Amino acid sequence: MNPLEYYPIVDLGPVMKGMVIGGLGIFHVFLAQFAIGGGMLLCYLQWLHMQGKCPLARRFADGYFKALVLVSFVLGAVTGVAMWFTSIQISPRTIGVMVHEFHWVWATEWSFFCLEVVAGYLFYRYGPRLADRARMQLLLLYACASWMSLFWINGILSWQLTPGGWLESRSVWDGFFNPGFLPSLIFRTVSAAAIASLAACVLINLVGGFTRDQRESLVAICARPLVLMLVMPLLGAWYLGTMPPASRSWATGGSVPMTMFLTMAVGSSMLIGLYAVVGILRQRLFVNGATSLLLLALAFVATAGGEFVREGVRKPFTIREYLYSNAITRDGIAVLRERGSITDDPYPLRDEAAYPAEQLVVGAKVFRAQCSVCHTLEGINAVVDLAATWSLDQRRLNIAQLQRTKPFMPPFAGTAEELESLVQLIGWIEAGRPAAWQESGDAAVLNQIRQWIAEAGTSPGHERMSAELVAAEVREATGSPAPRRSMKVEP
Amino acid sequence: MTEVFPLGFPPATCFYLVLLVATLVLHMVFMHYVLAGAAYLAFGRFMGPKRCAVCGWQAILIDWLPFATGLAITAGVAPLLFVQILYQREFYTANLLLSHRWMAILPVLIVCFYLLYVQKSAWITRRAWFWRIPVAGVVFAGFAFIAFSWTENHLLSLDAAAWPELYGSGSFRYTSSGLLPRLGIWFFAAFTTLAVELAWQGRLLGMKLVQPPPGVAVMGLSAVRRLSLTATSGGLGVLACGTAYAWTLPGETTRALTGPLGGAWLVAAVAGLAVQLAAWAWVAVQNRFPLPLLITATAGCLVSLTSGVVLREVVRVSTVDIKALAVAHAEAATIGGLPVFLLFAAVNAAAIVWCIRTAARAV
Repeated sequence: MNPLEYYPIVDLGPVMKGMVIGGLGIFHVFLAQFAIGGGMLLCYLQWLHMQGKCPLARRFADGYFKALVLVSFVLGAVTGVAMWFTSIQISPRTIGVMVHEFHWVWATEWSFFCLEVVAGYLFYRYGPRLADRARMQLLLLYACASWMSLFWINGILSWQLTPGGWLESRSVWDGFFNPGFLPSLIFRTVSAAAIASLAACVLINLVGGFTRDQRESLVAICARPLVLMLVMPLLGAWYLGTMPPASRSWATGGSVPMTMFLTMAVGSSMLIGLYAVVGILRQRLFVNGATSLLLLALAFVATAGGEFVREGVRKPFTIREYLYSNAITRDGIAVLRERGSITDDPYPLRDEAAYPAEQLVVGAKVFRAQCSVCHTLEGINAVVDLAATWSLDQRRLNIAQLQRTKPFMPPFAGTAEELESLVQLIGWIEAGRPAAWQESGDAAVLNQIRQWIAEAGTSPGHERMSAELVAAEVREATGSPAPRRSMKVEP
Repeated sequence: MTEVFPLGFPPATCFYLVLLVATLVLHMVFMHYVLAGAAYLAFGRFMGPKRCAVCGWQAILIDWLPFATGLAITAGVAPLLFVQILYQREFYTANLLLSHRWMAILPVLIVCFYLLYVQKSAWITRRAWFWRIPVAGVVFAGFAFIAFSWTENHLLSLDAAAWPELYGSGSFRYTSSGLLPRLGIWFFAAFTTLAVELAWQGRLLGMKLVQPPPGVAVMGLSAVRRLSLTATSGGLGVLACGTAYAWTLPGETTRALTGPLGGAWLVAAVAGLAVQLAAWAWVAVQNRFPLPLLITATAGCLVSLTSGVVLREVVRVSTVDIKALAVAHAEAATIGGLPVFLLFAAVNAAAIVWCIRTAARAV
């Protein structure tokens, strides 16, 4: 396998690419979960109607389904395609590996997607004219198909973080039924039910033709699935438990943003759950349009937090232990340190004439190949800002031993000359992009960089972190004193 | 290549090529309805309310275009999947080079999709006729832009030599002499497909094909002849654009199209088109739709559509280094999951048929 495939890399200026894919992903997941939960809720409403337990259910279900079609079938479907295209824009190699390894799973999901669209649209079009039995059958097919599409895509997404036995066997089913598959599936199912319930509460207040008592009774019924949120803490803990230790440690204190987003997700979910169980279901409080919208917004915040954490804790990988965030294979680091990371790059810089020295052009290409997927030069998460307080030698050391500088960073995957070029580029930008720049080529400096790179080895930082954690546990158990920290580590 | 497409390729490549062609034909069936339907409606709206009142086709299109768009998007996922197996590097590179310009198709698609619902809403029917013209116009312009972008993307994916220079230039536009004629082929072909689909819809929905609705004066051509004119114009447009496109192709590609690899398919495409044109001419003369003629036009349409999609791939495989890609195809073919897909595809296809029958019986 090629250590690095060269594509024309998209430049989003000051915008971090992760924000684009993350923002779209969160929006799409929210809509998709609305569609999945909506199917289940509609089946429940239809069943209540057929049992004579809710005379309003049929009328409300027809209105709810119209909203579902307008929101989910249009925005949900198009943002689904957009996720694919955006993934190509951000990391073509990652989506390429995912498609390659799971194309039959994706094709299977597509067959369910077809069923979902046909069953859904027929219900939308003919539902009000159909007999109860036929309505129930169509709704069941729609709900099953939409949940099954979650079932299939969940296997692929959870594989990215917990590839499990796939790393050894390369078997599609080892990858699909990975350690994170089941907790993630159940967690997402409960989330979907909750989002659909909250959306129903919004619609009950928006759709005309219901009296206050009728709306109250419908809210009480549609809020019932929110009870499931009581098990969310357990499901969340289960999911966290299946994560690799390093990823788990970042979500639980090791990384401030990850921990904050996890707290945001947990906090929002708890608020919704508490209000639903205590306020709506126990005290039978009426939920008006504003409150239900606020609750739905909280659900969006919870979804956003959860998805951010799921994406973030994979670092430094995009496919755990296999492909780094910058689309370099784990095994490819050593190769690129020999060959150079830009040696075979056929694409010129778009602003090559703006660089006063060839070394800066090399630096810009190294940045493009290794850093630009997560960082900008001067915008959000800019390398120039991150390295602003570092001295020149500190920059060389920290980049040479990147996985030690930050355990969620991949190892540097290039030659000493490339690294020095990157350091010079940062310095040049920091200096205000002067018209002339003296190239650096001190042999002693390059030798020192080579030594630092070699010391850091090619393994990801979390392996060293885990080893230290294990060693600390052993020391704690045996009561032996901790050794002094040393820069020297095993290669 | 000395064998007819898709034979002569390694088994894995052949397998994925067949899947790509089959799923792309399915996508085209719906996509043609949407593209040509949007154009037909925009033209109809422009012609004014009196003509619209006697045109049952416009009523059908307004009613069914949103669903057809949903189906076109859904059906488009499968060929999008297989193109990533077959031509990953080429497809991804073209996407990346066109970047923001390419990604613009997504918001445009969302706007068009919602405007289709606006077109069939009671809200717009309560407003002056004038407002329907820009709505239909924006929908058509949006779908035309998406069609243009796909053509541009496809042609760029075949032009590997242009990639570094285009990237270095910072431009997000790719121009090629084949762009407009190739776009024209698919645009006009969409009208032949639309005509067949509308004819079947009219028949199944019990539309009065010759007589206008009660109380509405006869104006212009009958519904049957209007459809015949639509299909015939489309067919002639395909022939004109096809000829123009052939002029732009390099010699090697032309030899692939006319040689053993694509020659038989080229003949089939032209024959299918000829059968359609003859059937539609006869329909116009008779001013009615006998079932045998409709079946003949449908068969001609399917043959020319399938052959057209195959010829599209013949051009591509004669341009890219398919032998180098064959290794990746063989690797992909070793990955498990095919039996599971086949099982669920069959079950879900049966479920789809069941859904349609249930709705049809009940209605």
